[in-house]
Amino acid sequence: MKGALRRGLADLACRALQATLPPSLESWGCAVRREAAEIPDDTQAFMFAFDILCGLMPRAVTWHLLHPVVSLIGAVTLGLAYMTMAGAPVRYLAINIGALAIGLMILALLGRTRFAGRQWTGRAIVAIAGALLATALLGNDVDGATRWVSLGGLSVQPSLILLPVMLVAFARCRDRLATVGMIAAAAALAIQPDRAMAGMLAAGLSVLAIMRPDPHVLTSLGASIAGLGVAMARADTLPAAPYVDQILYSSFDVHVAAGAAVLGGSALLLVPAIVGWCRDSANRSLYAAFGAVWLSGIIAAALGNYPTPLVGYGGSAIIGYALSLLALPNWAGEHAEAGPRSYGKADTPSLDRHLLVSLA
Amino acid sequence: MTRSRALSHHAQNVLAVLLDAGGRWSHGYELARLADVKSGTLYPLLIRLEAQGYLEAEWQQPPEGGRPPRHAYRLTASGKQLARANPPGQTARLGVQRSEVTI
Repeated sequence: MKGALRRGLADLACRALQATLPPSLESWGCAVRREAAEIPDDTQAFMFAFDILCGLMPRAVTWHLLHPVVSLIGAVTLGLAYMTMAGAPVRYLAINIGALAIGLMILALLGRTRFAGRQWTGRAIVAIAGALLATALLGNDVDGATRWVSLGGLSVQPSLILLPVMLVAFARCRDRLATVGMIAAAAALAIQPDRAMAGMLAAGLSVLAIMRPDPHVLTSLGASIAGLGVAMARADTLPAAPYVDQILYSSFDVHVAAGAAVLGGSALLLVPAIVGWCRDSANRSLYAAFGAVWLSGIIAAALGNYPTPLVGYGGSAIIGYALSLLALPNWAGEHAEAGPRSYGKADTPSLDRHLLVSLA
Repeated sequence: MTRSRALSHHAQNVLAVLLDAGGRWSHGYELARLADVKSGTLYPLLIRLEAQGYLEAEWQQPPEGGRPPRHAYRLTASGKQLARANPPGQTARLGVQRSEVTI
């Protein structure tokens, strides 16, 4: 191998590594590239770069695989695979793909927005509660349940879009205004009635009450349990919708691969919570709330005729999942991996790159 | 999340080289050669040491003008303590349990 070729391959290896490393380690990629360039001997430079590529690339790839967006895309993709195998109408697949595109667009546009702060969080939560109450009072009635609104010819479930992000936001920032919003949301879900979403609210707040038992959480938890009780007491006669409800079981009747896709996609929803719990000990209550929210959604889908989040037909849960990711701390970039503190981008990490501004 | 883990002999060698350098800054290729570790082992180790506050990393302009800055490393005070507590070959020579540190 000629010297120039070895030198070129060394540089290529370093560039590939630099492009793959997470943002927090980006400057290490740059450091490696500069170091390889300083080695006078072409063969030594090539070996140096190749060794580093082998040493750091698995770490870089793992980081990307554990990124929350991969969970979103993976779960939706597995859901599409299930629906294709089950013979779902092409329109259903298109709607899920469209919802994924919207979710990714939201993440791209708002993912770098800083957390809005206590005051705005409270206002956003109250606004969400208002939307849920409006749905309960003015939404489309189907067999006595008013959980949906019509938007552009599509039936959208606002609670599935807004409740997860509302809960994670409440886990981050609590005050009197936010607590009022949570109580109003509990009332809205009781009025709709929606057992699954009322259960999601109670589950998220229960986990929060265990980890952060302050008066705001405990008051909201009391309201959510009361709301769940009312929702459970009211009749829920909606039949299972094909490709939406009961698919955790029925997918295995289609094909074992379809069942595996549904189960695998559902498990993927919990990955951000598990990884965040392990990597970002300062924010465990947020990840626990996030995990409780989506686990309760999956359990509700297993127990009754409620939508199976992301893997079943329905764009509301897909957009809701993307929004709830935005309320999580950006652990993957800043908390978990410290980069060289003396250079470039790693020098000024924004520890709280989140959103919330879009919620109201 | 950090966890307690015994130092590998590669880590002990790298720490020893950095300790020998005193306050002088070292570069990656030089460290790899002196500590006799592959660069693919060295850099993950440097990243961990830096993240845990045992190592300082700094971009330095080479004395010759026109060359891009280069990353350089030296131990912090806690890194020096760690290096002194874990000299190379300690395990092999003593045959006792190595000290537990969080890297």
